[in-house]
Amino acid sequence: MKLVRDVLDKELLDREEEPMGRVDGLLMHVGKNSQPRVTHIDIGGPVPWERVHPFFGRLSRRLAQLWGPKRREQVRIPWSRVETVGRDIKLDVEARETGAIDWEIWIARHIIEHIPGSGHEEAGDGH
Amino acid sequence: MLQITLGIITSVGGFLEIGSVTTAVQAGASFQYQLLWAILLGTICLIFLVEMSGRLAAVSKHTIVEATRERFGFPFFFIVLVGMVLVAFLVLVAELGGIGLSLQILTGIGFPWWAIPVSFIVWILMWKGTFSLIENGASLLGLVTLSFAVAAVKLHPEWGGVAHGMLPTFPGDQKAKYWFVAVSILGASISPYLMYFYSSGAIEDEWDESYIPINRFISTFGMSLGGFLSMAVLVVAALVFHPMGIDIQKFEQASLLLTTALPKWGFFLFAMSMLFACLGAALEISLAIAYFFAQGFGWNWSEDLNPARDARFCSTYTIIIMLAAVPLLFGVDPIRVTIMAMALTSATLPLAIVPFLFLMNDPIYLREHRNGWISNTVVAIIVLISFVLAVISIPLEIIGG
Repeated sequence: MKLVRDVLDKELLDREEEPMGRVDGLLMHVGKNSQPRVTHIDIGGPVPWERVHPFFGRLSRRLAQLWGPKRREQVRIPWSRVETVGRDIKLDVEARETGAIDWEIWIARHIIEHIPGSGHEEAGDGH
Repeated sequence: MLQITLGIITSVGGFLEIGSVTTAVQAGASFQYQLLWAILLGTICLIFLVEMSGRLAAVSKHTIVEATRERFGFPFFFIVLVGMVLVAFLVLVAELGGIGLSLQILTGIGFPWWAIPVSFIVWILMWKGTFSLIENGASLLGLVTLSFAVAAVKLHPEWGGVAHGMLPTFPGDQKAKYWFVAVSILGASISPYLMYFYSSGAIEDEWDESYIPINRFISTFGMSLGGFLSMAVLVVAALVFHPMGIDIQKFEQASLLLTTALPKWGFFLFAMSMLFACLGAALEISLAIAYFFAQGFGWNWSEDLNPARDARFCSTYTIIIMLAAVPLLFGVDPIRVTIMAMALTSATLPLAIVPFLFLMNDPIYLREHRNGWISNTVVAIIVLISFVLAVISIPLEIIGG
Protein backbone atom coordinates (compact mmCIF):
# COMPACT_ATOMS: atom_id res chain seq x y z
CA MET A 1 0.00 0.00 0.00
CA LYS A 2 1.26 3.48 -0.86
CA LEU A 3 0.21 5.92 1.83
CA VAL A 4 -0.08 9.05 -0.30
CA ARG A 5 -1.66 7.34 -3.29
CA ASP A 6 -3.97 4.90 -1.50
CA VAL A 7 -4.79 6.55 1.83
CA LEU A 8 -4.21 10.31 1.98
CA ASP A 9 -7.23 12.39 0.84
CA LYS A 10 -9.48 9.31 0.54
CA GLU A 11 -13.08 9.50 1.72
CA LEU A 12 -13.83 8.06 5.17
CA LEU A 13 -17.00 6.12 5.99
CA ASP A 14 -18.13 5.03 9.44
CA ARG A 15 -19.64 1.63 10.23
CA GLU A 16 -23.06 2.82 9.01
CA GLU A 17 -21.44 3.92 5.69
CA GLU A 18 -21.98 7.55 6.70
CA PRO A 19 -19.42 9.93 5.13
CA MET A 20 -17.22 11.48 7.81
CA GLY A 21 -14.76 13.61 5.84
CA ARG A 22 -11.49 12.76 4.14
CA VAL A 23 -8.05 11.67 5.31
CA ASP A 24 -6.61 15.15 5.80
CA GLY A 25 -3.45 14.06 7.54
CA LEU A 26 -1.61 10.96 8.73
CA LEU A 27 0.28 10.71 12.02
CA MET A 28 3.34 8.48 12.12
CA HIS A 29 5.41 7.11 14.92
CA VAL A 30 9.12 7.02 14.14
CA GLY A 31 10.97 5.14 16.88
CA LYS A 32 14.72 4.88 17.27
CA ASN A 33 14.84 1.12 16.99
CA SER A 34 11.61 0.35 15.12
CA GLN A 35 10.13 0.78 11.68
CA PRO A 36 8.05 3.96 11.20
CA ARG A 37 4.33 3.18 11.41
CA VAL A 38 1.10 5.08 10.89
CA THR A 39 -0.71 5.56 14.17
CA HIS A 40 -3.59 7.95 13.49
CA ILE A 41 -5.75 9.56 10.79
CA ASP A 42 -6.44 13.29 11.17
CA ILE A 43 -9.78 14.63 9.97
CA GLY A 44 -10.67 18.29 9.39
CA GLY A 45 -9.59 21.24 11.51
CA PRO A 46 -6.51 23.18 10.46
CA VAL A 47 -4.70 20.03 9.18
CA PRO A 48 -5.64 20.19 5.45
CA TRP A 49 -5.19 23.98 5.43
CA GLU A 50 -1.72 23.69 6.86
CA ARG A 51 -0.86 21.52 3.86
CA VAL A 52 -1.74 24.48 1.59
CA HIS A 53 0.22 27.05 3.64
CA PRO A 54 0.81 27.68 7.39
CA PHE A 55 -1.07 30.98 6.94
CA PHE A 56 -4.27 29.11 6.06
CA GLY A 57 -3.70 26.83 9.05
CA ARG A 58 -3.58 29.84 11.41
CA LEU A 59 -6.61 31.37 9.69
CA SER A 60 -8.60 28.16 10.07
CA ARG A 61 -7.75 27.99 13.80
CA ARG A 62 -8.78 31.60 14.36
CA LEU A 63 -12.08 31.24 12.48
CA ALA A 64 -12.98 28.09 14.42
CA GLN A 65 -12.57 30.04 17.67
CA LEU A 66 -15.05 32.66 16.51
CA TRP A 67 -17.78 30.40 15.29
CA GLY A 68 -19.04 26.85 15.13
CA PRO A 69 -19.09 23.76 17.36
CA LYS A 70 -17.36 23.96 20.70
CA ARG A 71 -15.01 20.98 20.39
CA ARG A 72 -11.45 22.26 20.05
CA GLU A 73 -9.14 19.26 19.82
CA GLN A 74 -8.13 17.73 16.48
CA VAL A 75 -10.29 14.78 15.37
CA ARG A 76 -7.88 11.84 15.39
CA ILE A 77 -8.82 8.23 14.65
CA PRO A 78 -6.45 5.39 15.67
CA TRP A 79 -5.20 3.38 12.68
CA SER A 80 -6.38 0.21 14.43
CA ARG A 81 -9.97 1.30 13.60
CA VAL A 82 -9.34 1.05 9.86
CA GLU A 83 -11.36 -1.85 8.44
CA THR A 84 -10.79 -1.69 4.69
CA VAL A 85 -8.86 0.53 2.27
CA GLY A 86 -10.40 0.57 -1.20
CA ARG A 87 -12.45 3.12 -3.15
CA ASP A 88 -12.93 4.70 0.28
CA ILE A 89 -11.68 3.90 3.76
CA LYS A 90 -14.09 2.16 6.12
CA LEU A 91 -13.64 2.76 9.83
CA ASP A 92 -15.02 0.78 12.73
CA VAL A 93 -16.35 3.88 14.51
CA GLU A 94 -19.57 5.87 14.90
CA ALA A 95 -19.10 9.19 13.02
CA ARG A 96 -21.06 11.19 15.60
CA GLU A 97 -18.95 10.03 18.51
CA THR A 98 -15.63 10.95 16.89
CA GLY A 99 -16.39 14.64 16.37
CA ALA A 100 -15.73 14.33 12.62
CA ILE A 101 -19.24 15.51 11.73
CA ASP A 102 -19.61 18.13 14.48
CA TRP A 103 -19.87 20.86 11.86
CA GLU A 104 -22.52 18.95 9.90
CA ILE A 105 -24.61 18.56 13.07
CA TRP A 106 -23.96 22.14 14.20
CA ILE A 107 -25.08 23.63 10.87
CA ALA A 108 -28.12 21.32 10.73
CA ARG A 109 -29.19 22.30 14.28
CA HIS A 110 -28.41 26.02 14.15
CA ILE A 111 -29.36 26.92 10.60
CA ILE A 112 -30.93 24.30 8.38
CA GLU A 113 -33.57 22.96 10.79
CA HIS A 114 -34.90 26.48 11.31
CA ILE A 115 -35.82 26.73 7.64
CA PRO A 116 -39.23 25.20 6.79
CA GLY A 117 -39.14 22.01 4.72
CA SER A 118 -35.69 20.91 5.83
CA GLY A 119 -36.99 17.49 6.97
CA HIS A 120 -35.61 15.68 9.97
CA GLU A 121 -31.97 14.78 10.35
CA GLU A 122 -32.68 11.04 10.62
CA ALA A 123 -34.87 10.66 7.51
CA GLY A 124 -33.80 9.71 3.98
CA ASP A 125 -30.69 7.97 2.75
CA GLY A 126 -27.79 9.05 0.62
CA HIS A 127 -24.30 8.42 -0.61
CA MET B 1 -35.32 7.44 -21.11
CA LEU B 2 -34.50 8.91 -17.70
CA GLN B 3 -30.81 8.78 -18.48
CA ILE B 4 -31.32 10.57 -21.75
CA THR B 5 -32.83 13.52 -19.91
CA LEU B 6 -29.52 13.93 -18.07
CA GLY B 7 -28.01 14.64 -21.48
CA ILE B 8 -30.78 16.96 -22.51
CA ILE B 9 -30.73 19.05 -19.34
CA THR B 10 -26.97 19.20 -19.51
CA SER B 11 -27.24 20.45 -23.07
CA VAL B 12 -30.25 22.75 -22.91
CA GLY B 13 -29.67 24.00 -19.39
CA GLY B 14 -25.92 23.94 -19.51
CA PHE B 15 -25.06 24.48 -23.13
CA LEU B 16 -27.78 26.82 -24.26
CA GLU B 17 -27.87 29.56 -21.66
CA ILE B 18 -27.22 33.27 -21.48
CA GLY B 19 -23.54 32.79 -22.35
CA SER B 20 -24.00 30.81 -25.54
CA VAL B 21 -26.99 32.87 -26.71
CA THR B 22 -25.29 36.25 -26.07
CA THR B 23 -22.03 35.21 -27.70
CA ALA B 24 -23.79 33.57 -30.68
CA VAL B 25 -25.98 36.67 -31.21
CA GLN B 26 -22.90 38.93 -31.07
CA ALA B 27 -21.02 36.70 -33.49
CA GLY B 28 -23.89 36.52 -35.99
CA ALA B 29 -24.64 40.25 -35.83
CA SER B 30 -21.01 41.34 -36.26
CA PHE B 31 -19.42 38.59 -38.39
CA GLN B 32 -22.35 36.83 -40.08
CA TYR B 33 -21.58 33.07 -40.33
CA GLN B 34 -17.84 33.55 -39.99
CA LEU B 35 -17.60 32.34 -36.37
CA LEU B 36 -19.67 29.15 -36.70
CA TRP B 37 -16.39 27.21 -36.49
CA ALA B 38 -15.94 28.32 -32.86
CA ILE B 39 -19.27 26.73 -31.88
CA LEU B 40 -18.37 23.58 -33.83
CA LEU B 41 -14.96 23.35 -32.15
CA GLY B 42 -16.41 24.00 -28.68
CA THR B 43 -19.16 21.42 -29.21
CA ILE B 44 -16.72 18.72 -30.34
CA CYS B 45 -14.53 19.38 -27.30
CA LEU B 46 -17.54 19.32 -24.98
CA ILE B 47 -18.83 16.01 -26.41
CA PHE B 48 -15.47 14.42 -25.59
CA LEU B 49 -15.27 16.00 -22.12
CA VAL B 50 -18.81 15.09 -21.10
CA GLU B 51 -18.36 11.52 -22.35
CA MET B 52 -15.18 11.29 -20.25
CA SER B 53 -16.93 12.68 -17.16
CA GLY B 54 -19.65 10.01 -17.42
CA ARG B 55 -17.12 7.24 -18.10
CA LEU B 56 -15.01 8.22 -15.08
CA ALA B 57 -18.09 8.08 -12.84
CA ALA B 58 -19.40 4.82 -14.31
CA VAL B 59 -16.08 2.95 -14.10
CA SER B 60 -14.44 4.37 -10.97
CA LYS B 61 -17.60 5.43 -9.05
CA HIS B 62 -15.79 8.71 -8.44
CA THR B 63 -16.93 12.14 -9.50
CA ILE B 64 -14.28 14.36 -11.11
CA VAL B 65 -13.92 16.40 -7.92
CA GLU B 66 -13.43 13.35 -5.69
CA ALA B 67 -10.84 11.89 -8.03
CA THR B 68 -9.03 15.25 -8.34
CA ARG B 69 -8.68 15.60 -4.59
CA GLU B 70 -7.53 11.99 -4.12
CA ARG B 71 -5.09 11.91 -7.00
CA PHE B 72 -3.52 15.36 -6.64
CA GLY B 73 -3.92 16.06 -2.91
CA PHE B 74 -5.58 18.87 -1.00
CA PRO B 75 -3.28 21.82 -1.88
CA PHE B 76 -3.72 21.36 -5.66
CA PHE B 77 -7.41 20.61 -5.22
CA PHE B 78 -7.74 23.89 -3.32
CA ILE B 79 -6.30 25.88 -6.25
CA VAL B 80 -8.71 24.21 -8.69
CA LEU B 81 -11.57 24.85 -6.23
CA VAL B 82 -10.84 28.58 -5.99
CA GLY B 83 -10.50 29.01 -9.78
CA MET B 84 -13.54 26.95 -10.73
CA VAL B 85 -15.84 28.28 -8.04
CA LEU B 86 -15.01 31.92 -8.83
CA VAL B 87 -15.72 31.46 -12.53
CA ALA B 88 -18.84 29.35 -11.89
CA PHE B 89 -20.08 32.02 -9.47
CA LEU B 90 -19.77 34.71 -12.17
CA VAL B 91 -21.67 32.47 -14.57
CA LEU B 92 -24.38 31.97 -11.92
CA VAL B 93 -24.74 35.76 -11.56
CA ALA B 94 -25.10 35.93 -15.36
CA GLU B 95 -27.78 33.19 -15.43
CA LEU B 96 -29.84 34.72 -12.62
CA GLY B 97 -29.49 38.00 -14.51
CA GLY B 98 -30.66 36.23 -17.68
CA ILE B 99 -33.84 35.08 -15.93
CA GLY B 100 -34.28 38.65 -14.61
CA LEU B 101 -33.80 40.15 -18.08
CA SER B 102 -36.32 37.71 -19.59
CA LEU B 103 -38.85 38.75 -16.95
CA GLN B 104 -37.96 42.40 -17.57
CA ILE B 105 -38.84 42.22 -21.27
CA LEU B 106 -42.01 40.25 -20.48
CA THR B 107 -43.29 42.54 -17.73
CA GLY B 108 -41.50 45.87 -18.12
CA ILE B 109 -40.25 45.67 -14.51
CA GLY B 110 -36.45 46.19 -14.35
CA PHE B 111 -34.22 43.15 -13.69
CA PRO B 112 -32.85 44.37 -10.32
CA TRP B 113 -36.37 44.00 -8.92
CA TRP B 114 -36.36 40.36 -9.99
CA ALA B 115 -33.04 39.51 -8.31
CA ILE B 116 -34.58 38.41 -5.01
CA PRO B 117 -37.70 36.59 -6.32
CA VAL B 118 -35.65 34.76 -8.98
CA SER B 119 -32.98 33.67 -6.50
CA PHE B 120 -35.69 32.54 -4.13
CA ILE B 121 -37.34 30.40 -6.82
CA VAL B 122 -34.02 28.81 -7.80
CA TRP B 123 -33.28 28.14 -4.14
CA ILE B 124 -36.72 26.65 -3.36
CA LEU B 125 -36.46 24.31 -6.36
CA MET B 126 -33.15 23.07 -4.99
CA TRP B 127 -34.42 22.92 -1.40
CA LYS B 128 -37.62 21.00 -2.10
CA GLY B 129 -36.85 19.34 -5.44
CA THR B 130 -35.17 16.01 -6.10
CA PHE B 131 -32.43 15.45 -8.65
CA SER B 132 -34.85 13.84 -11.13
CA LEU B 133 -37.36 16.69 -10.78
CA ILE B 134 -34.65 19.21 -11.67
CA GLU B 135 -33.32 16.93 -14.40
CA ASN B 136 -36.64 16.18 -16.09
CA GLY B 137 -38.42 19.47 -15.43
CA ALA B 138 -35.64 21.61 -16.84
CA SER B 139 -35.16 19.40 -19.91
CA LEU B 140 -38.88 19.44 -20.77
CA LEU B 141 -39.21 23.21 -20.32
CA GLY B 142 -35.91 23.74 -22.14
CA LEU B 143 -37.38 22.19 -25.30
CA VAL B 144 -38.98 25.58 -26.03
CA THR B 145 -35.50 26.62 -27.20
CA LEU B 146 -36.13 24.50 -30.32
CA SER B 147 -37.88 27.65 -31.57
CA PHE B 148 -34.38 28.99 -32.46
CA ALA B 149 -33.99 26.10 -34.92
CA VAL B 150 -37.47 26.69 -36.37
CA ALA B 151 -36.63 30.37 -36.90
CA ALA B 152 -33.30 29.55 -38.56
CA VAL B 153 -34.97 27.23 -41.09
CA LYS B 154 -37.87 29.63 -41.76
CA LEU B 155 -35.46 32.43 -42.66
CA HIS B 156 -33.94 30.32 -45.48
CA PRO B 157 -30.24 30.94 -44.83
CA GLU B 158 -27.79 30.50 -47.66
CA TRP B 159 -26.55 27.02 -46.73
CA GLY B 160 -23.29 27.34 -48.68
CA GLY B 161 -22.32 30.32 -46.53
CA VAL B 162 -23.30 28.43 -43.38
CA ALA B 163 -21.11 25.47 -44.38
CA HIS B 164 -18.23 27.85 -45.17
CA GLY B 165 -18.50 29.36 -41.69
CA MET B 166 -17.71 25.96 -40.18
CA LEU B 167 -14.11 26.41 -41.35
CA PRO B 168 -11.94 28.92 -39.46
CA THR B 169 -11.13 32.05 -41.44
CA PHE B 170 -9.17 35.17 -40.58
CA PRO B 171 -11.17 38.34 -40.09
CA GLY B 172 -10.97 41.27 -42.51
CA ASP B 173 -11.29 44.05 -39.95
CA GLN B 174 -12.20 44.24 -36.23
CA LYS B 175 -9.53 41.61 -35.53
CA ALA B 176 -9.44 42.07 -31.75
CA LYS B 177 -13.21 41.83 -31.49
CA TYR B 178 -13.34 38.77 -33.76
CA TRP B 179 -10.93 36.78 -31.61
CA PHE B 180 -12.49 37.98 -28.38
CA VAL B 181 -15.94 36.80 -29.52
CA ALA B 182 -14.36 33.50 -30.66
CA VAL B 183 -12.85 33.05 -27.18
CA SER B 184 -16.18 33.90 -25.52
CA ILE B 185 -17.96 31.34 -27.70
CA LEU B 186 -15.41 28.67 -26.77
CA GLY B 187 -15.78 29.59 -23.08
CA ALA B 188 -19.58 29.47 -23.38
CA SER B 189 -19.44 26.04 -25.03
CA ILE B 190 -16.75 24.32 -22.94
CA SER B 191 -18.10 24.98 -19.46
CA PRO B 192 -16.30 22.94 -16.80
CA TYR B 193 -19.25 23.16 -14.40
CA LEU B 194 -21.14 20.98 -16.91
CA MET B 195 -18.61 18.22 -16.39
CA TYR B 196 -18.84 18.45 -12.60
CA PHE B 197 -22.62 18.43 -12.80
CA TYR B 198 -22.73 15.53 -15.26
CA SER B 199 -20.32 13.29 -13.34
CA SER B 200 -22.19 13.96 -10.07
CA GLY B 201 -25.47 13.22 -11.88
CA ALA B 202 -24.07 9.89 -13.04
CA ILE B 203 -23.27 9.02 -9.39
CA GLU B 204 -26.70 10.27 -8.23
CA ASP B 205 -28.27 8.00 -10.88
CA GLU B 206 -25.98 5.11 -9.77
CA TRP B 207 -24.28 4.40 -13.10
CA ASP B 208 -22.00 1.40 -13.52
CA GLU B 209 -19.91 0.08 -16.39
CA SER B 210 -23.00 -1.08 -18.29
CA TYR B 211 -23.78 2.61 -18.85
CA ILE B 212 -20.69 3.25 -20.99
CA PRO B 213 -22.52 2.87 -24.34
CA ILE B 214 -25.54 4.92 -23.25
CA ASN B 215 -23.19 7.55 -21.81
CA ARG B 216 -21.54 7.83 -25.21
CA PHE B 217 -24.92 8.29 -26.86
CA ILE B 218 -26.17 10.83 -24.28
CA SER B 219 -23.07 13.00 -24.46
CA THR B 220 -22.93 12.95 -28.25
CA PHE B 221 -26.65 13.52 -28.75
CA GLY B 222 -27.15 15.98 -25.89
CA MET B 223 -24.15 18.19 -26.61
CA SER B 224 -24.78 18.11 -30.39
CA LEU B 225 -28.33 19.29 -29.72
CA GLY B 226 -26.97 22.16 -27.62
CA GLY B 227 -24.34 23.04 -30.24
CA PHE B 228 -26.90 22.82 -33.03
CA LEU B 229 -29.25 25.23 -31.20
CA SER B 230 -26.36 27.67 -30.57
CA MET B 231 -25.57 27.59 -34.27
CA ALA B 232 -29.24 28.27 -35.02
CA VAL B 233 -29.05 31.37 -32.78
CA LEU B 234 -25.96 32.56 -34.66
CA VAL B 235 -27.58 31.96 -38.06
CA VAL B 236 -30.76 33.83 -37.09
CA ALA B 237 -28.69 36.74 -35.70
CA ALA B 238 -26.65 36.82 -38.91
CA LEU B 239 -29.82 37.05 -41.01
CA VAL B 240 -31.73 39.49 -38.81
CA PHE B 241 -29.12 41.82 -37.27
CA HIS B 242 -26.13 41.71 -39.63
CA PRO B 243 -27.90 43.33 -42.64
CA MET B 244 -29.06 46.19 -40.42
CA GLY B 245 -25.54 46.67 -39.06
CA ILE B 246 -26.80 46.39 -35.48
CA ASP B 247 -24.04 45.74 -32.95
CA ILE B 248 -25.76 43.91 -30.12
CA GLN B 249 -24.97 45.48 -26.75
CA LYS B 250 -28.28 45.10 -24.95
CA PHE B 251 -30.59 42.22 -24.15
CA GLU B 252 -33.58 44.26 -25.41
CA GLN B 253 -32.00 44.33 -28.88
CA ALA B 254 -31.38 40.58 -28.82
CA SER B 255 -34.99 39.98 -27.81
CA LEU B 256 -36.07 40.88 -31.35
CA LEU B 257 -34.10 37.87 -32.62
CA LEU B 258 -37.12 35.72 -33.43
CA THR B 259 -39.67 38.37 -34.46
CA THR B 260 -38.66 38.41 -38.14
CA ALA B 261 -39.14 34.66 -38.55
CA LEU B 262 -42.03 34.31 -36.13
CA PRO B 263 -43.76 37.72 -36.02
CA LYS B 264 -46.64 36.68 -33.77
CA TRP B 265 -44.91 34.54 -31.15
CA GLY B 266 -41.25 35.39 -31.67
CA PHE B 267 -40.85 37.87 -28.85
CA PHE B 268 -42.66 35.66 -26.34
CA LEU B 269 -40.79 32.51 -27.45
CA PHE B 270 -37.42 34.29 -27.10
CA ALA B 271 -38.26 35.44 -23.58
CA MET B 272 -39.53 31.99 -22.55
CA SER B 273 -36.54 30.22 -24.13
CA MET B 274 -34.10 32.44 -22.27
CA LEU B 275 -36.09 32.13 -19.06
CA PHE B 276 -36.10 28.32 -19.07
CA ALA B 277 -32.58 27.88 -20.42
CA CYS B 278 -31.13 30.26 -17.80
CA LEU B 279 -33.22 28.65 -15.05
CA GLY B 280 -31.88 25.20 -15.99
CA ALA B 281 -28.33 26.55 -16.07
CA ALA B 282 -28.73 28.38 -12.73
CA LEU B 283 -29.90 25.15 -11.06
CA GLU B 284 -27.09 23.21 -12.64
CA ILE B 285 -24.37 25.70 -11.61
CA SER B 286 -25.66 26.06 -8.03
CA LEU B 287 -25.65 22.28 -7.71
CA ALA B 288 -22.20 22.01 -9.33
CA ILE B 289 -20.70 24.48 -6.82
CA ALA B 290 -22.28 22.68 -3.85
CA TYR B 291 -21.08 19.31 -5.22
CA PHE B 292 -17.59 20.76 -5.57
CA PHE B 293 -17.33 21.67 -1.89
CA ALA B 294 -19.13 18.61 -0.54
CA GLN B 295 -17.20 16.06 -2.60
CA GLY B 296 -13.86 17.77 -2.07
CA PHE B 297 -14.23 17.89 1.70
CA GLY B 298 -15.98 14.53 2.09
CA TRP B 299 -19.35 15.86 3.33
CA ASN B 300 -22.64 14.07 2.92
CA TRP B 301 -24.15 15.11 -0.41
CA SER B 302 -27.14 14.34 -2.55
CA GLU B 303 -29.86 16.47 -4.06
CA ASP B 304 -32.28 13.68 -3.04
CA LEU B 305 -31.59 13.90 0.70
CA ASN B 306 -33.54 15.98 3.19
CA PRO B 307 -31.61 19.23 3.72
CA ALA B 308 -31.11 18.37 7.41
CA ARG B 309 -29.22 15.24 6.36
CA ASP B 310 -26.68 17.07 4.22
CA ALA B 311 -26.67 20.40 5.98
CA ARG B 312 -23.30 21.62 4.74
CA PHE B 313 -24.16 20.77 1.12
CA CYS B 314 -27.48 22.65 1.34
CA SER B 315 -26.02 25.64 3.17
CA THR B 316 -23.37 25.93 0.44
CA TYR B 317 -25.88 26.39 -2.38
CA THR B 318 -28.06 28.58 -0.16
CA ILE B 319 -25.17 30.99 0.51
CA ILE B 320 -23.97 30.92 -3.12
CA ILE B 321 -27.43 31.74 -4.51
CA MET B 322 -27.88 34.56 -1.97
CA LEU B 323 -24.49 36.06 -2.83
CA ALA B 324 -25.16 35.80 -6.58
CA ALA B 325 -28.29 37.95 -6.18
CA VAL B 326 -26.30 40.86 -4.68
CA PRO B 327 -24.63 42.29 -7.83
CA LEU B 328 -27.95 42.08 -9.70
CA LEU B 329 -29.72 43.90 -6.91
CA PHE B 330 -27.29 46.77 -7.46
CA GLY B 331 -28.05 46.76 -11.18
CA VAL B 332 -24.77 45.25 -12.46
CA ASP B 333 -25.41 44.52 -16.16
CA PRO B 334 -25.83 40.73 -16.60
CA ILE B 335 -24.66 40.90 -20.22
CA ARG B 336 -21.30 42.43 -19.20
CA VAL B 337 -20.93 39.80 -16.49
CA THR B 338 -21.72 37.13 -19.08
CA ILE B 339 -19.09 38.30 -21.55
CA MET B 340 -16.47 38.53 -18.81
CA ALA B 341 -17.40 35.13 -17.37
CA MET B 342 -17.20 33.40 -20.76
CA ALA B 343 -13.75 34.81 -21.57
CA LEU B 344 -12.50 33.92 -18.08
CA THR B 345 -13.83 30.38 -18.52
CA SER B 346 -11.61 30.02 -21.59
CA ALA B 347 -8.62 31.42 -19.75
CA THR B 348 -9.05 29.01 -16.81
CA LEU B 349 -9.80 25.91 -18.92
CA PRO B 350 -6.34 24.33 -18.50
CA LEU B 351 -6.80 24.39 -14.71
CA ALA B 352 -9.90 22.22 -15.08
CA ILE B 353 -8.96 20.10 -18.07
CA VAL B 354 -5.26 19.24 -17.64
CA PRO B 355 -5.67 17.36 -14.31
CA PHE B 356 -8.83 15.79 -15.71
CA LEU B 357 -6.91 14.39 -18.68
CA PHE B 358 -4.35 12.89 -16.28
CA LEU B 359 -7.18 11.18 -14.40
CA MET B 360 -8.69 9.86 -17.62
CA ASN B 361 -5.41 8.15 -18.45
CA ASP B 362 -4.88 6.67 -15.00
CA PRO B 363 -5.32 2.89 -14.83
CA ILE B 364 -6.15 3.10 -11.11
CA TYR B 365 -9.40 4.89 -11.96
CA LEU B 366 -10.26 3.78 -15.50
CA ARG B 367 -8.56 0.37 -15.85
CA GLU B 368 -9.12 -0.80 -19.46
CA HIS B 369 -11.53 2.08 -20.12
CA ARG B 370 -8.76 4.71 -20.26
CA ASN B 371 -8.75 7.42 -22.92
CA GLY B 372 -7.47 6.60 -26.36
CA TRP B 373 -5.05 8.89 -28.18
CA ILE B 374 -7.83 10.47 -30.27
CA SER B 375 -9.79 11.85 -27.32
CA ASN B 376 -6.59 12.98 -25.57
CA THR B 377 -5.34 14.81 -28.66
CA VAL B 378 -8.66 16.43 -29.60
CA VAL B 379 -9.30 17.78 -26.10
CA ALA B 380 -5.68 18.90 -25.52
CA ILE B 381 -5.53 20.80 -28.82
CA ILE B 382 -8.90 22.55 -28.42
CA VAL B 383 -8.14 23.54 -24.82
CA LEU B 384 -4.74 24.85 -25.88
CA ILE B 385 -6.31 26.90 -28.69
CA SER B 386 -8.93 28.37 -26.30
CA PHE B 387 -6.31 29.21 -23.72
CA VAL B 388 -3.89 30.86 -26.15
CA LEU B 389 -6.69 32.84 -27.80
CA ALA B 390 -7.94 33.92 -24.36
CA VAL B 391 -4.52 35.06 -23.17
CA ILE B 392 -4.03 37.10 -26.34
CA SER B 393 -7.51 38.51 -26.87
CA ILE B 394 -8.62 39.40 -23.34
CA PRO B 395 -5.93 42.13 -22.89
CA LEU B 396 -6.60 43.35 -26.45
CA GLU B 397 -10.31 43.65 -25.73
CA ILE B 398 -9.64 45.49 -22.46
CA ILE B 399 -7.24 47.93 -24.15
CA GLY B 400 -9.62 48.40 -27.07
CA GLY B 401 -12.54 48.94 -24.68
